Amino acid sequence: MSLQIYIIRRILFAIPLILGITVVSFIIANAVPADPINANLPQNALNDPELVAAFRERWGLDKSPVEQYFIYLGNLLQGDLGVSIKTKNPILEDIQQFLPATIELATVSIVVGLTMGISFGVVSAVWRNSIIDYLVRIFALIGVSFPVFLLALIGLTVFHAELGWVAGPGRLSFLVDDPPQVTGWFTIDSLLAGEWETFWDALSHLILPSLVLGSFVSGIIARITRSSLLEELNADYIRTARSKGLHERVVIVKHALSNALIPVVTIIGLLYGNLLAGAVLTESIFAWPGLGRYVFRASTSQDFPAIMGVSMLIALIYVAVNFLVDILYYFLDPRIRLK
Amino acid sequence: MKGINKRHLLTSMMMVFLLFLAAACGGAETEAPAQEEEPAGQVEETAPEETEAEAPAEEEAMEEEAEEPAEEEAMEEEAEPEAPAEEEAMEEEAEEMMEEEERVLIIGHSEVTESYDLAHAFNPTSGIVHRASYDTLVTFPDTDASSIEPNLATSWSVSEDGLSYTFNLRDDVTFANGDPLTADDVVFSFTRLINVQSNPSFLADPIESLEAVDDLTVVINLVEPRPSFLAEMVNSAFSVANDAEVIAAGGTNAEDAASTDGAQEFLDQNSVGTGPYILESWTPQEETVLVRNPGYWGESPYFDRIIIVNIPEAATQQVALESGDIDLATDLAPDQVTGLEDDPNITVFRGQDRWTHFVLMNRDPEIGGPVSDPNVALAIRYALDYQGYTDLWTGSVTPGSNMWIGIAGAFGPDQAFERDLDRARDLLTEAGYPDGFEIELSYPDFTFGGINLSTNAQKIQADLAEVGITVSLRPGEVQVSLEEYRNGEQGFAYWFWGPDILDPVDFLSFLPGGKVAGERTNWTEDMIDEDTLALIAQAGSETDPEVRAEIFEQLQVYAQENGAYAPFNVPAIQTAFRSDIQGYIWHPEWGLDLAGLSRSN
Amino acid sequence: MSNIANLQPKSNLRSQPNSRTFLRSTLRNLRRNPAVALGIVIVIVWILLAVFAPTIATQDPLSQAVSDRLQAPNGQYFMGTDELGRDIFSRVLYGGRITIPAALAVVIIDSLIGTLIGALAGYIGGIWDEILMRLTELYLAFPTIILAMAVTAALGPSIRNAVLALIVVRWPSYARLTRGLILEAKNDDYVKAVRSLGATHTYILVKTLLPNTIAPALVYASLDIGNVILLFAGLSFLGLGPEPSSPEWGRMVSIGIDFFDQTWMWLFPGLAIASLVMAFNFIGDGLRDLLDPRTRK
Repeated sequence: MSLQIYIIRRILFAIPLILGITVVSFIIANAVPADPINANLPQNALNDPELVAAFRERWGLDKSPVEQYFIYLGNLLQGDLGVSIKTKNPILEDIQQFLPATIELATVSIVVGLTMGISFGVVSAVWRNSIIDYLVRIFALIGVSFPVFLLALIGLTVFHAELGWVAGPGRLSFLVDDPPQVTGWFTIDSLLAGEWETFWDALSHLILPSLVLGSFVSGIIARITRSSLLEELNADYIRTARSKGLHERVVIVKHALSNALIPVVTIIGLLYGNLLAGAVLTESIFAWPGLGRYVFRASTSQDFPAIMGVSMLIALIYVAVNFLVDILYYFLDPRIRLK
Repeated sequence: MKGINKRHLLTSMMMVFLLFLAAACGGAETEAPAQEEEPAGQVEETAPEETEAEAPAEEEAMEEEAEEPAEEEAMEEEAEPEAPAEEEAMEEEAEEMMEEEERVLIIGHSEVTESYDLAHAFNPTSGIVHRASYDTLVTFPDTDASSIEPNLATSWSVSEDGLSYTFNLRDDVTFANGDPLTADDVVFSFTRLINVQSNPSFLADPIESLEAVDDLTVVINLVEPRPSFLAEMVNSAFSVANDAEVIAAGGTNAEDAASTDGAQEFLDQNSVGTGPYILESWTPQEETVLVRNPGYWGESPYFDRIIIVNIPEAATQQVALESGDIDLATDLAPDQVTGLEDDPNITVFRGQDRWTHFVLMNRDPEIGGPVSDPNVALAIRYALDYQGYTDLWTGSVTPGSNMWIGIAGAFGPDQAFERDLDRARDLLTEAGYPDGFEIELSYPDFTFGGINLSTNAQKIQADLAEVGITVSLRPGEVQVSLEEYRNGEQGFAYWFWGPDILDPVDFLSFLPGGKVAGERTNWTEDMIDEDTLALIAQAGSETDPEVRAEIFEQLQVYAQENGAYAPFNVPAIQTAFRSDIQGYIWHPEWGLDLAGLSRSN
Repeated sequence: MSNIANLQPKSNLRSQPNSRTFLRSTLRNLRRNPAVALGIVIVIVWILLAVFAPTIATQDPLSQAVSDRLQAPNGQYFMGTDELGRDIFSRVLYGGRITIPAALAVVIIDSLIGTLIGALAGYIGGIWDEILMRLTELYLAFPTIILAMAVTAALGPSIRNAVLALIVVRWPSYARLTRGLILEAKNDDYVKAVRSLGATHTYILVKTLLPNTIAPALVYASLDIGNVILLFAGLSFLGLGPEPSSPEWGRMVSIGIDFFDQTWMWLFPGLAIASLVMAFNFIGDGLRDLLDPRTRK
């Protein structure tokens, strides 16, 4: 199968999925008994028949549910996700404000998780059944078994409150001003602006939450890397390579590892979506001004348009990331090309 | 934690310096809480005196004298447009100041407000911000409510019949944007407050009509004589906004302002007042930023910029304060403060807070169910473990009624209920619930002033379990719960109340015909006897102090027997701040006064 | 935080041909795997502690003694007391009575729903199968915890609603699993033979196909319990589960945000969650190793 056909196939698969996502979002956003007019318009606008009529018109509230869905879809295509009940801002604006913080945290976490996970996995597979192997496996087990909120509290107590090595909750210290916005990543933006102090401050705030979030990822990655590397190391071609007298390091890194990482790649896409969601807990403990905290607040205020706006966005990111992973997979796994 | 030695040395030196200073000043800070028991009592006595026509003139003269130096300074600093050279010099100076370093104050605070619009916002957080960015016509002294002081009004007089108040405005006040303050602004602000019909509008109920007689004179006519009126005018809802700016932002004071006013969005982000600070920005649930008003008519405050960071968790506030990330923490729990007292870098202020925590029992049987029965309400008052709450919150006391304990004549711990489980059980049996009943307790799920409401709610649950009432807890997000409470939708709820007016009339809110009783508890006038009704009516307008005190005592007894509330605790306030912060003053009306704060070097 | 486990076991489980030999070999192998044994022991201990909590506990988990509040662990209060003077040791014991049944309920109901829907879809095939597959893909795309938050926000927070939310959110992965198994079993020679003898669809489904899927579904369920416990605790930590006074572990940890210094208040319930999840992961790991031809020697 050529790459083009493969990509087109993937896109065709994604379209019904995206449509389905919008349907689910629409249903949940409207499943609540609350009157959307009451919920969406400020108190004094309710007394204004013109405003109310305009709102009805815009969302097609007097039409049938099916028509309403298509109006919703139309608004969606224009980037109109509705208005948050809680913040009273357009949800798209809110998302633009809170998304970069979450993306920064999630990306750094996954990098931390991958680095730790893969190296731990390799170490423990190579020295199988050694003390290191057991230590790594225990670490991996803790990573997937400890609730993130417990790790967060322990981390805050030990490394922030007691030892003072890292900064505590928040993205920046209160005195430090946000760097001029370019990417929305405080670490990158501060570097771009040459604000070193801001950079260190942002980094110091990023360490704890990304370690907490990353420990979960690294636990999973370490397990997968270990088991698939073990499998590869037993494979025939490795034995051949060894018998040819290749250096063990070359055998492991060049031959076995590159094949063993295929399952790791497949899981990255899934992990990313999960990380965004896991961010809900991490962000509320670390007062991280991201989407997770935003959606948590939305859920306690029954702000369904906001909840669904965010979950739709995360679902779309998930679809996109998996699309990319599929393409990556195409290059990594020769079997697809042969199909 | 970091750089301990140097900091320790510095701060201990600072402490010594502070001690000297405190000694020199006569320890104003430590006296403040003690005074609060009396202040309102004096309001009651002095307010009527001041309403006599001649008194204000004298007052005014004295005040003018006292304020003169400050004023001169202010005049020099801001407005002399004819002297451009001087102005340039000033600007340079200002720039130098900027270069030197902007003076920033950072406050950790658990934010409770849905707006900063004077006509809509009516919350603890907005009270602090309004105090800093707007001015009222009259005000109280720094720490108590013992007298009425001039503010935007230099003097005032009251007509013989007590129905007409005439205020003379200062002629040297400009808004932050440079517009001069006129009587029209006052009339506009107050009529907008009335006509927008939002949360604080009820405060204006006593007002019949307003009139700007000339540029600097405002006359306010009342519906009936109201001895507490001047004390009410201190509330930040009666702040004066610049009418031109409000109108430009889509605001109006027209009769139909409730539906046509569109200035809230603007006023949430900007202040248009005459206060020492200007609201620069507000990110709800994140932070509020205030900057110094360079043209302020009074003494210029110390800090150039004040950032109020929303930190809902008390423990986070504590850590941030200890590490110096914030200068002042407003919502520490009593347990935390005890631990901080040994820290030389941190100064702790304790006083009687203005919040009365109470259980609300809706009188509408549809909404309140069993607790709508007055006998059940009384049983619940007997069932609460009052001592337990004071043990839980260091420095707190048990109130005897919903009248704030700092107001003269309020029932204090001596007249409060004591737990009597047998009595409670008898009353329940009498009411037809010998085996108790099941009910849901609604409350806002947050920590306020260091009091975690969820902790108290769990204690209420445990207390009532002992008389067979099975309570399930229903915590709500603050704004959501507040909305339900204000709409009278909660049958059995836990809330707290801070006086709108530092005067006994504030208590009338909790009796039929009052705001809390009528709108939130559905306890209406047709539910009580004629005599009590007459007594309530008389309470608002009675001018004889002795009769007035007698009436309020009777009403509190009535509420203890028949009321729809169980007030159970008045916590202490505990604020902790970095020891280099000076001028911390706490006032029961507006809480924290930002303009008075400074940093020692 | 949850869908990951769904991925790994599937391929391994699917390759098990017959449920009876499968169970027998599993049980035989269990004895040789100490980690699994340890996991089982921990789980049994927690179940016993939960069942006998009323006898073991030193205090009523709800009774408050304000005068004894915030005490560090001592002879009277083994794990200290919380902000209302409740005994944390007793509360941790009682916590098992909430978490274990809740997680079991989610997993069991989801196995039933998932097996039923998955089996039907796999057996009938065609459009129904297609719909199911698209639906499960949709579910995978939505972040579990946010969907669960939306459900509890709509229904109001309570234990029942949190369980309900998790059931609603997690059944598709079970359905996917069963469907895959059924699809494979359908082509089994034995099933083909039964069909050629003229057996009814119900007979084939109930008597031959379902038995083959139940054991793998159970194994998968046991792998999933750990995740469900974490999700449940996460929801309660956020205040979307049991009410505040409930001795539920996640709820108890959440007060730690207000009491950093009183570590005992949040550490013990937190470790309770971790130990139980870890035990289930031990079991899951062991099962996976036993079932996985790659790591089996």
